[in-house]
Amino acid sequence: MRTSVLLTTIAAALFMATPALPHHSNVAFEVNKIITLTGEVTEFRWVNPHTWVGLNVDDGKGGKVLWSIEGRAPGVLLRAGWSRTSIKSGDTITIDFSPAKDGSKTGLIARVTKADGTILANAPPAEQ
Amino acid sequence: MTTTTMTTKPFAGFLFLGLALSLSAQTPPDLTGVYYAIMRLPPGVVPPAPSAGAPAGPQPKPRASAPLADGSQGRGPNAASLTPEYMAKWEVIRKSRMAGSAEYDNSAKCLPPGMPSMMVMFYGMEVMQNKDKITMFSELNDALRRVYLDGRKPSQKVLDDPTYAGYSTGHWEGDTLIVDTVALHPDSYIEGFSPHSDQMRVQERIRFREPGLLEDRVTVTDPKALTKPWETVYSYRKAGPGRDELREFACPEGLTDAK
Repeated sequence: MRTSVLLTTIAAALFMATPALPHHSNVAFEVNKIITLTGEVTEFRWVNPHTWVGLNVDDGKGGKVLWSIEGRAPGVLLRAGWSRTSIKSGDTITIDFSPAKDGSKTGLIARVTKADGTILANAPPAEQ
Repeated sequence: MTTTTMTTKPFAGFLFLGLALSLSAQTPPDLTGVYYAIMRLPPGVVPPAPSAGAPAGPQPKPRASAPLADGSQGRGPNAASLTPEYMAKWEVIRKSRMAGSAEYDNSAKCLPPGMPSMMVMFYGMEVMQNKDKITMFSELNDALRRVYLDGRKPSQKVLDDPTYAGYSTGHWEGDTLIVDTVALHPDSYIEGFSPHSDQMRVQERIRFREPGLLEDRVTVTDPKALTKPWETVYSYRKAGPGRDELREFACPEGLTDAK
């Protein structure tokens, strides 16, 4: 039993794609271009200077592509209504994001839409 | 004894009243508090959804994730007027940023934003004040600056040791805080990514334009980098209950994830 669990874990680790690493600089992204992907969350990192989401997306050919998509810092996201547990592994979410200039499977989040329709914006209400 | 008390009391009361009046005329405003910069959302960035209870409607799709700031937009209308030497430096930085490199992005490397860029206070500011010192904290990159109000001046040792926040001294002129900042590290930017020399000087006039609305009128001079002084005004709204706590930034926390 124990061995089979271990083997399954190793097999899963071998077949799991390694996520692309975040960039941490907005200049890495085409900020005025937005693409939209829906997938399953593999990881949500609530860290500075940027949060990031691992998103497993169907490639349309029966396979999966793992994206690492960056969000803004926890402080500003807290004020925009997010929390450390806004997104959880296993959630299906839709992300509007700006793609990386270098074509890597990364991006900069503009908005997250959860399965129940909840929208997580990337900025708090603007000061007037 | 009773007679003495009776004769000094009115005098003391009068003195106290006079002192109080004179103090109220001279007591500087209390800037203590948390503030958020007043800034417009960049074009295409959709404001957040209305709060709970507001009528729900279809949300427009965002058209941008962040302000375009890689240099591809050229120099803005309020960009600093750079000398040819520093304009050439700017062009080098611009090419790097347009290519997507973080080489000149200090913030992405967890370096402090530095003066005067720090005063953009993109993620919020906390001001702590006493008679002799005002401390300003930027949530972005946990950056700090101190403005000494006790009459001290930067020593030669300080001038020989430039830092990102520089060395700030100030005094009150009525309701306005006058600040002079020198000893600035050249590895930071005036605005955007306009470079400067170690001879940059930042002068500020900080006051409440109206209750809760703080403004910082900034004048930057730099005999090497600027052909004329660069001026701007930053404005901040004092935060009310529920928004008056900044969060730790701890920038290196995620650096191990970065490339």
